[in-house]
Amino acid sequence: MRKIIDTTIETIIFICGILSIIFVVLIFGFLFKEGFAFFKSFGIIEFITGRFWYPTSNTPSFGIFPFIIGSILVTVGACIIAVPIGVMTALYISEVAPKGIRDVLKSAVELMTAIPSVVVGFVGMVTLVPFIRTLFNIPTGLTAFSGSIMLAFMAMPTIVTISEDAMRSVPWQYKEGALALGATKWQTIRRIVLKAAMPGVIAAIMLGVGRVIGETMTVMMITGNSARIPLSIFEPVRTMTAVVAAEMGETVRGGMHYKSLFAIALVLFLITFIINFIADLFLGKNKNK
Amino acid sequence: MVDKIKVENLSCYYDKKCALESLNISIVQNEILSIIGPANSGKTTFLRTLNRMNDFDKTYSRKGKVYLVGDNIFDMNMENLRKRVGMLFAMPIPLPMSIYENVVYAPKRLGLISKKSELETIVEQALKDASLWDEVKDRLDSSAMKISGGQQQRLCIARILAINPEVILFDEPCSGLDPISTAKVEESMIELKRKYTIVLVTNNVKQASRVSDRTAFFLMGKLVEIDKTDRLFVSPKEKQTEDYITGRFG
Repeated sequence: MRKIIDTTIETIIFICGILSIIFVVLIFGFLFKEGFAFFKSFGIIEFITGRFWYPTSNTPSFGIFPFIIGSILVTVGACIIAVPIGVMTALYISEVAPKGIRDVLKSAVELMTAIPSVVVGFVGMVTLVPFIRTLFNIPTGLTAFSGSIMLAFMAMPTIVTISEDAMRSVPWQYKEGALALGATKWQTIRRIVLKAAMPGVIAAIMLGVGRVIGETMTVMMITGNSARIPLSIFEPVRTMTAVVAAEMGETVRGGMHYKSLFAIALVLFLITFIINFIADLFLGKNKNK
Repeated sequence: MVDKIKVENLSCYYDKKCALESLNISIVQNEILSIIGPANSGKTTFLRTLNRMNDFDKTYSRKGKVYLVGDNIFDMNMENLRKRVGMLFAMPIPLPMSIYENVVYAPKRLGLISKKSELETIVEQALKDASLWDEVKDRLDSSAMKISGGQQQRLCIARILAINPEVILFDEPCSGLDPISTAKVEESMIELKRKYTIVLVTNNVKQASRVSDRTAFFLMGKLVEIDKTDRLFVSPKEKQTEDYITGRFG
């Protein structure tokens, strides 16, 4: 009897364990199936480099180049803002802050993760967007720049918490060793802490980027959703995620438009997969040391 | 005999708990002074006070004065003090970089030298003084984490020598090493005494008797006895000292 219970529980745990792998494979397979069906009738090169997105016109054109540019622009902008602030926040929390401030700051940063993206988008829409419009005196505040700022806000907790963990796991003896040699606190932080924690910090940045590029609700609400190639960051853009989310409801199931959205999702999935994979490489490198 | 370090009435506390009580001691230039004593005797506290490593501990406080050739170390700039008083820890802790970079780390950070040729001379000299040169000269670029524990500890010595300090503090430098590596570290210590002043804290009483010129015995935060090593080990004045070195303690 005990043996049976043992085997049953083992089986259940095993199924739960591989469930996430099964889901990933299924989603990937589904995306592939629909996406490839689309690529069969519409060329993959034309799809990625095409400049016009007229999915419902009589001679439909499926060019997602503006969306790729939009996603990249928003993501890069968010990184430029979030990475320095995030890494420095992590340094402050792990190396400089007194214990009281550290605890408060850490929970505050972790709390930021809990804010739903629609709330971030909403707050950005009513505060940041009008502010940007009047500050730069542009026709609309719904721009790639506004999106970058709000997304930076969303990527920061990931970057801060993971790189802070990496910095904290740098053995105290390294710091002591460097300090005992007469290095100043800043020299120790820069040459020892940052250097030893670098794989973890890079992984944190990659995971933050992954979060930004996959973010949908916020960008849909504040980037203006304009399907053309932007000339500067102060113009409205549309990201790949926003296209899928906005148009999926209006398509005919099984039609070209429907399939093209799957193709976009496939491209997006590949990008985030690659980013996560790179992050894993760095995290793994960190562990082996 | 010149006093390198003169300690006057030094008391140290952790959260008001006294770890070291009104200590008066002098350390003579070019000697190896061993400090022995059981746990909680204050020997490590004393050592870490000498280059102010304990200043990072928020619970730590102290009274009294320590003079390094006439200057009170508590008035000195901390980085300057640590440049003059180097410290070797119990565990070998090479920094996560190559052997070469480990040795040049401190001279570079302190801005002592800039030319590459000078750096190479310093690396060679420091590694030779730490009796490590012959073992690593062909692989200076390989990671310092890959060499053996004993070699790592001698690399740490070389790293300190590269900034040419006046005093080197050894905090149980051989506690994690095998007897052969220990012998090598001890050898280099005796070698180093010609140029530097050495303070050695050790739990290994035999090590103190092997390498040091004078030995001090600490107990419960107090200096019980200090004397020439051969005299202290042969005919200690205090009963407590005798009990400790003969292993009849506690």
